[in-house]
Amino acid sequence: MTENSVPEVEFDFHGKALDTIFDTYETLLQRCPVGRSNKYGGFWFITKSEDIFAAEQDPQTYSVAPSMLLPEFGTDVPMIPIDIDPPDHTFYRKLLLPAFTPKAIGKLEDGMRRTAAELADEVAAHEVVDVSSTFARPMPTIIFSRLAGFPEKDWPKFDQWVDDIIYERTVDPERARRAGRDLMDYFDVLLKERADDPSTDDIVGRLINADRDGRKLTHEELQSYCYLLFLGGLDTTAWAIRASLWYLAQHHGDQQRLRDNPDLIPLAAEEFLRTLSPVQAMARTCKADTEVSGQQIKAGERVVLVFGAGNRDPEVYDEPNKIKIDRVDNRHLAFGAGIHRCLGSNLGRREMIVSLEEFLARVPRFSLANPNEPWHGVGPLTLRIGG
Amino acid sequence: MYHLSVDSSRCQGHARCLAFAPETFDFDDEGYAFVVADKADVDELTAEVKTAVANCPERAIVVTEVSPANP
Repeated sequence: MTENSVPEVEFDFHGKALDTIFDTYETLLQRCPVGRSNKYGGFWFITKSEDIFAAEQDPQTYSVAPSMLLPEFGTDVPMIPIDIDPPDHTFYRKLLLPAFTPKAIGKLEDGMRRTAAELADEVAAHEVVDVSSTFARPMPTIIFSRLAGFPEKDWPKFDQWVDDIIYERTVDPERARRAGRDLMDYFDVLLKERADDPSTDDIVGRLINADRDGRKLTHEELQSYCYLLFLGGLDTTAWAIRASLWYLAQHHGDQQRLRDNPDLIPLAAEEFLRTLSPVQAMARTCKADTEVSGQQIKAGERVVLVFGAGNRDPEVYDEPNKIKIDRVDNRHLAFGAGIHRCLGSNLGRREMIVSLEEFLARVPRFSLANPNEPWHGVGPLTLRIGG
Repeated sequence: MYHLSVDSSRCQGHARCLAFAPETFDFDDEGYAFVVADKADVDELTAEVKTAVANCPERAIVVTEVSPANP
């Protein structure tokens, strides 16, 4: 039996496919935990938690070239650090690790809380309001942009770039490419303006003034790193906050329980990350022939690690499709694992927790005003407040 | 007796141990975990430490049972 005899399925993990993807995961985990999809040029998908974890621990076999994203994020330029293999990856990552430690992120908490409180008060002043554009999206835009050094005057441009590059790429790839060029141009200008600025108070400053074996990073390296940080810092956290509110709007018991017991919010946030994660899957390329759960994968083939399915693997989680806001054992893979663990995971978690704490403390009982709005993405989430 | 350590070749800085057992685990300047010196040898594993072990995405926390006769 060769890999050619493996039946191909139409597995997709973007756009409309996300509407029903949890049912898809259940079927794949039962019947076809490793298989082939004919989408995006063809790829293998791996859905079991242990198989995904093993692949994440083996970066020599599972390369991130040409990109961890499938399809790519509006550019063919490898994004630093996620599209880079060791040894270069090790250097690039080390540059910013100190900026994202639990202690470094802890210092941002007061600012986060003020921002979340202001945004939540504004939400609470409405009867019907889109909390994606007024809360879930501005929160990371403000917090991450300040940390990174993206000037406030530019923030109004950011959502459209995120929408075009991340969400339109499977619908209108040329639009994603155009936005990708605009975003690269944006950082071209920003980095030139800051080229001689010795300040390392923000992330852009840390990168500009970093030393690589006696030289500074090239303009292209800086542009690539900023491009990735922009997309990683703004989109995923907004999705995670929005998806948490989507769930709580429909489960008033859990909503009130968290309002009454804010100490439970960190556990609840982990459960939302497990079940409604903004990163449902990431791609690799096999560098050597390998076998996963009985399937032979050849060198050169694209592989997609379906974290969202692994996070609902019945071999790991009791009642995997049930959202239990007090679930304790929760070793989910929402941030990946191994050397490519999300660099911003401490920041994303903190933003999510502080956002939910302030939202629940300031906004009275809320419900979905438009039940057709999907669980996924960063599009509108219209809530009825006080209902 | 139990001896606790963090396998630095596995730890990737998820900080779940710090979230559950902040008295036992600490973090270096690059965000990797280590066990606080006087918390490495314990008679019993607390619920907090057990939860930290169960939640470590990298399975990096090593718990070794140490016989009291051969400490």
